[in-house]
This record gives sequence, C-alpha cells and structure tokens, in this order.
Amino acid sequence: MFFKQIRQNAARSRRDNGLFFGSLVTAIVAFYTLLSLGEQDVMQFLATIESDAVGKLMRMLPVVYAVSLFFVFFLVYFACRYQTDSRRRELGLYLMLGMKRSRLFGMLFCETLWSSMLALLAGLPAALLLTEGISLATARIVGLGIIGHRFSFSPEALWWTVCGFVFVQLLSMLVICAGLGKAEPAEFFRAGDVKRQEVSSGAQSTAFLCLGTVFLLLAYYLGIVRLQALELGVMIATVLFGIAGTFLLYRGLGGFLGRRIRRKSPDAAGLWTFTARQVQENVLSQHKPLAVASLLLVLALSCISFGISMGVGGSVSGRSVDFSLFGEERQIDSCLNRDDIRGLVGESYPLYLSHVKDGSVFDTGGLKAALSGIGGAGNIIENCSFDYVIAESSYNDILEHLGKEKLDLSGGKAALYSSLIGKNEPGTKLQEALDGRVSVGIGGKDYELLPALCCDNIVADRAITLYLGLIVPDALYAQLAKTPEAYCRNVQLRGDVVEKMGLMQAIQNMDALLAGTGVTYDSYLGGIGRNLFYAVAAGYLTIYLGVLFWLIANTVIGLKYLIGQRRTGRRYEILAMLGADMPSLQRSVRKQISVYFALVLAAALVSSAAAIAAMFTSFARLPAGASMGKAAALSAAALLAFAALETFYIRIVKQTAGRELGRLLAGELSHGRRMF
Amino acid sequence: MNTKRDILQVEDLTKTYGRGANRTEALKGISFRVLEGEFLGIMGASGSGKTTLLNCIAAMLKPASGKILLRGQDISGFRGDRLAAYRGRSIGYLFQEFELLDNLTARENITLPLALRGVTAGQAERELQTVAALLDIAQILDQFPSQMSGGQKQRAAAARALISDPDLLLADEPTGALDSRNSRVLLDRLAEVNRVRNKTIVMVTHDAGAASYCSRILFIQDGQLFHELRRNVLSEPREAFYERIVTVIAQLGGGSAHVL
Repeated sequence: MFFKQIRQNAARSRRDNGLFFGSLVTAIVAFYTLLSLGEQDVMQFLATIESDAVGKLMRMLPVVYAVSLFFVFFLVYFACRYQTDSRRRELGLYLMLGMKRSRLFGMLFCETLWSSMLALLAGLPAALLLTEGISLATARIVGLGIIGHRFSFSPEALWWTVCGFVFVQLLSMLVICAGLGKAEPAEFFRAGDVKRQEVSSGAQSTAFLCLGTVFLLLAYYLGIVRLQALELGVMIATVLFGIAGTFLLYRGLGGFLGRRIRRKSPDAAGLWTFTARQVQENVLSQHKPLAVASLLLVLALSCISFGISMGVGGSVSGRSVDFSLFGEERQIDSCLNRDDIRGLVGESYPLYLSHVKDGSVFDTGGLKAALSGIGGAGNIIENCSFDYVIAESSYNDILEHLGKEKLDLSGGKAALYSSLIGKNEPGTKLQEALDGRVSVGIGGKDYELLPALCCDNIVADRAITLYLGLIVPDALYAQLAKTPEAYCRNVQLRGDVVEKMGLMQAIQNMDALLAGTGVTYDSYLGGIGRNLFYAVAAGYLTIYLGVLFWLIANTVIGLKYLIGQRRTGRRYEILAMLGADMPSLQRSVRKQISVYFALVLAAALVSSAAAIAAMFTSFARLPAGASMGKAAALSAAALLAFAALETFYIRIVKQTAGRELGRLLAGELSHGRRMF
Repeated sequence: MNTKRDILQVEDLTKTYGRGANRTEALKGISFRVLEGEFLGIMGASGSGKTTLLNCIAAMLKPASGKILLRGQDISGFRGDRLAAYRGRSIGYLFQEFELLDNLTARENITLPLALRGVTAGQAERELQTVAALLDIAQILDQFPSQMSGGQKQRAAAARALISDPDLLLADEPTGALDSRNSRVLLDRLAEVNRVRNKTIVMVTHDAGAASYCSRILFIQDGQLFHELRRNVLSEPREAFYERIVTVIAQLGGGSAHVL
C-alpha cells in the first residue's frame, strides 16, 4: 500500500511537473557526459600521443565533478522545492490524518529515490547518445574525420553518475525536509508565505541602483583596460566589483521599478499595473537569486566563448601533409616501396626548403617601407631578413593537395611565407603590408611579391613554424639554396584508405609501419597532438561548465517564477472575479515571464560582453593560425543557439505557467470553485 | 403600490455537488426577487447553501438548473467577454478575507475593475476620490495592504467593489474578519451607500448584528428558503429588528445551529 502510494505520487509529480523531471534528467546527462570524458574517441586517441597531459586532465576531472555536484545541487534543490511546495496541502493532510513526520519524510525520500531511478532510466540513454554525439562532433570539429568510431560505455562513469545524482537528490530532500520539519501542520495548509510588499525608501533603492551601476562599470573598465597586465589584484578587484555590482543592481532595481510603475500607472489600463507589480514583487523578494542567476549566465557565456575560441584553435587543422620523412632519397624510396606501406601511400613529393646561401643579397627596403605604415610592426622591420627559401614547385604540390590554386611566379615574382598568422602575430602584419604593391630585391633584381601571404603548412609537424621565408621559382631556388637537396619527403595517405579506415586509424597504421623502418619522420597527428589536446580539453571542459551554468541559471529563474506564481495563485482568482478574462490573464503571465527573464538576461548579456572583451584583451588569445572569421562565425552560431535555447526554455516556462493558471482557474486548486 | 423595480430574480435555483451516492443537493429550488435599492440579508446555518447561492449569483458557480436574471437578463448564458463584463461591471463582490492584491496599493486595487475595462487610473480619479471619501479611505490610497488595518482593508475592498458603480453589491460575510468596532464602521458605510446611492446589496452573514442593517432577511435551511423577515427602515429601529432576528433564529433553527 505504502509503496503503491509512493509510485503513484511519483508518477503524478512527473506528469504534473515536466520541468522538474527534465531538470533531473539534465543533471544525469551532465554528470555522465563529464565522467565519461576519458572514454571518448578524441581523448582515447590523445592518450596515445599525449598521455601525460591527458593523465593530468583525468586527475582534474574529480575537481570538476565536485564543482558540478555543487552547482547541480542547486538545480535539483530548486526543482525538488518547487515539487514539494505544490504538495504542501497534501502533506499537511497526511499529518492531520495521523501520519508521523518520520513516516511522511520517509515517504518523500522513497518517492525521491523512485523518481531518481526513473530519471536515471530516462537520463542514461540520453547521456549515452549525447556523449556519442559529442565524441563524433568533437572529432569532426578538430578534423580527425573519424570513421572507425566505436560505441563507448563507461561503467565507472555510470557508477559515479548514479552515486552523485542520488546523493544530490537526497541532500536536497534532506534540506527541504529539515525546513518542513519545523513547520506546524497549519502552515502546510497555507499556500506559502507571500512576502510582504517591501516598502523600502526611494533614496535607499536609488543608492543601491547607482552604486551597483558604478561598481559594474568599474568592473568593466578594470576588466577591459587594466586586466591586460594580468595582475592578481586587478583580477580580484574586477571579480569583486562585478559580483557586488550585480547584487546591488538587483537590490535597487525593485525600487526603480516601483517608481516607474507609480509614474506610468495613471495612464495604464488593463492588467498593466498588476503585471508590473508582479514583476516588481519578484525582483524585490528575489533580488539575490536573480543576481546569482545573472552571474551564472555571465559565467556560462564566458565559458562557452572561451571554449569556442579554444576549439577554433584545434579545428584549424590545415591538413596539408600527413607525414614528412627525413633522410636520404634512396632510403626513403625503399621505405615507401615496401608492400605494406605502398598500399597506404597516395602521393609523395620532395619538399625543397633551405637556408639561403651565405652571401646572398636581399633588398628588403620595399617591404620595410610597407611595414613602416603599420602599427606594432617595429619588431618585424628590425628582423626583416630572408633566411629561408622554398621552391615554387614544392609549395604548389602542397596547394594542389589542399585543392587550392597554384602560385604562378613567372615574370619576376616571388611570394612571402610565414606560418605565424593570427591575432598580433607577425604574419597578420605582413599580410597587411602586402596589400600594397611590394617588391624585394634578390641579387640586384626586383621581384614583385604576390599580394597574398602564403601560410599553409609545409611539413607534417605543425609544431615547426617558419617566421619568414621566400617562395621563389625553382631556378632561382637552385641559385639561392644552401643545400640543394630536398629538406624532406612529404607523404599523403591514399584518400580511399583514409575514407575507409578513418584518418586517425590510417595515420596510426602508417605510423606503426614507419616505426619499424628506421626512417626519421613526423606525422600530422603527432604534431598537432598537444595543440589538439589543449583545444579539446579547454574547449570541452569550459563548454561543459558553460552549458551547466546556463541550465542552472535558467532553472533557478524559471522555478523561482513558478513557485511565486503558485504562491500568489489566489490573486488570479480575484482578478477573474473582478472581470479579468482568461486570455488577458494568460497574457499577463507570459509578459511577467518575459520581463522576468529579460531583467536577468539584459544584465547578463552586458556583463558577458564586457567579460568576453576582457578575456580576449588579456589572457585568452585565439590560437596561432586560428581564423578570426571562423571564430566570429562560430561565436555567432553559439549566440544564435543560445538565443534559440533561451527562447525554448522561456516558452516551456510560459507553457507550464499557463497550464498552472488554467488549472487554478478551472477550480482544481480553488476549493472546488469553478471560475471559467 | 410598489414603485421599485426588480433588479434580481432567482427562479427555482438548484445546485448539486458530486455524483451518484456522493451527490449532495446544496440548493433545492430557491426562488426570490430583490428590488432595486434593497439591502437584503441571507442567513442560515453552516452548510445551508447561502454561500453557494451567493456564488451562483456572482457567476462563480454554475447552477444545475433554474435561472438568475439581473435586470431581466439570464446570466447562465454568459460566456467570455459577457461573463467578464458581468463580473467586472454589473456586480461588485466583497469577500470575507478582503482579497486585496497585496502587491498593489489601495489606489491600484480600487481602480483595478476599471483598468480591466480599459479605463486608466487617471481617468478614474474622480470616481476614486468619490468612493474613497464615501468609505473614509482617502488618506491610505497610496499604501499597500500590509500597511493597513483590517477595517481599512475591508473598506478599500468595498471601494473596489463599488467603483464600477455595479447594479448589485454582493457581500460574503464582510465583517467575518473584523473586530466589532471596524464591523460597525463598515456596516454604517454600506448602509449609507445603500441609502444615499440607492445601491442594491445582498449580504450573506451569520451575525444578527450585521443582519440588523438589512431591510429584509431571507433564512435558508438545507438549501431551501424557510423564512423571511422584513423591516420598515423608516419606522423600525435597528435594535428592534435585531431582537426580531434573534428571536427567529432561536425559534426556527435553534440558536446553536447558527453558531460556528
């Protein structure tokens, strides 16, 4: 009987409060996604080439897990409180019917466990799907092109997910039951305390509002202008001013809204005044949760932006060369002609890259003159000399493989090469300089530089960078090169092999075969391993935390509103009695929710913009080679996704509130009275 | 000859709750009429159906059968806009627990029924000042309910019920949550509204003292009318009417049945 009741109660809770159940499922997905990180394809691959770094990351995961537990606790706590709050009368009735408190709380705990079990059953498949999706998507984003993907399931992650989730659920119920334990049965029958309309003085709320705004502006200034020096004191001051400013802003906002309502209400009709007063009351009584939610959203947006910028670094794969083999021509030929290796090799070509011969004369006056007009190019002008030359045919082989247009250096032309492109990198300044018509003198003859800077990787290892080089026609290369032999042999794997096995496996197979030949070589993946690791680790973790913060912030705002609406449900009945029709009441509720969310989002968006600007003017930089356009496009996509998700979430809250209102006015909650 | 017109007609009204074995008849075919400008009291024991009757008249409950006509119009057919207009314009409702919206000031609470009809607070200022003066609450218009006394709250609620100048003021135990002094002040004001503005009032009450302000009282028992008392307001003092009410309560129902 007891267990039947528990199952029935839990089923009703799920039916009535999809938002509540959704929050629980989200918590499970969040835990499993984090804990199964080590099982993901990208991490498994990285562990083979960067085992130390991956090991460090895996050791960090428990800390992130603990942080997640802390934040998810609030998500589950608010969801459980909303749930319990809606059943106060029922709980009071159990007490009045003679149920002992211990049995009542036992029942609640059992319901919680039952709900946990069902949420786990729903959440775990979703989590598995999501992690597989993330695994595939991350691999695709970072350019691994994995086809040899395996389904991964981590029993350890499952265990800790279950433990963490049940722990957080039970802890939330414990806190809620501790609060209910002190309440008299009569208190259960009240709809919950409606906080009295606070009548704070106008001067006080204005002072809070002004001080909050000043603190926030100060935080923005410190973050954007002064944080570049990365001094700890400035950093702490920025954070403290930001937090204090946000709290003060929301503390003073209620009074500001009150004054605005007084000013506007004489000209307002319909439910305008009621709607505005509802919003004001929510702000007055919940300024702290609003500030917390706003700060969480700032954290979420900052984390996601940081994650994307890091992810962009990993995604600029520019996979031009799969392997670079070093050694004598003959040795390399015999190696590549081995039966097992030959089947994997698509094409190979020598790369002619060399130091310039001693005594070669270059006139860099034209380039220096072009650079002199560009701010911050002083260092480049000082060090402007050509130490390396690259043969046109070699570079064209690379371009051909990348599917780009070949260079044409006939008729006295040359091209400038630098692999150091990106924000504040020399390559970017050089590209600016090339926008005008620039020429260099080589051995007394002028060569016009092509207007586009060449920056594609010329060897497999992306860790090898070339500050400044000159691509010249093959004949000129032969004159200028200190060592006329090829620097290395670049190898591309066969396209059909890559397609069949997946890039990662194909390269790993080739790697295993080459390792036994004695030839020295670099591989594309070996070179990008560390970059990739940092991109994946930083990107993944920050995006994960960002999404988690976003979810919690929205849950806090949404549930706080819904709890408030339930507590003030009687007001809607009175309004109906006074002649308000259902559509106008629904409109009022929807408007309240929109404004309520907007109040949090507006401050969060402004602060996030400042935080992101501060981040990118100080510690966060787009990684070398990362395209600003791509980062901007991804950020725009992320912002659109954010707006879409936010709209979706607000819509869910509006639907829930509308359903609740409908039920309230249809008489379910109004002591049998039927209003419509 | 009666020169006054009927403002409210209740004809053979029934209301049932529940189904099958749980079926309860709250009203069993009640019929009566209310004249314009009348101050009608409805008395009865707990569970007699008096609040159900009031809620049916207020369109808060749908009767099972019968008719309720206000100025000749059957309200049972009202839906949507007409129903909202009936609640907001034709009747005013005074609750036992005041039911002011506690996040609105007295001014905002009182003008709410007009705002719902599209009238701005600025346009409603004249009506507001009139009812505020009538109910002696002009000094608390900018206060929130939490800053008012019980009596002030109920008078603000009365002002809200009256500002639309409704045809009918319905009051459900309006003094139930007030002390005797505030009850007297409220009833004096309601009597004045009835007398000066010729406002029709239907009041449900347990309290013989409150009922003595009425010009007619209907007694209900088990969902049926079983007695009626009339008072000639001009010739019969309130004290004498009170004695008659108490006597009727004692004779017809047994006094204890009317005490909660």
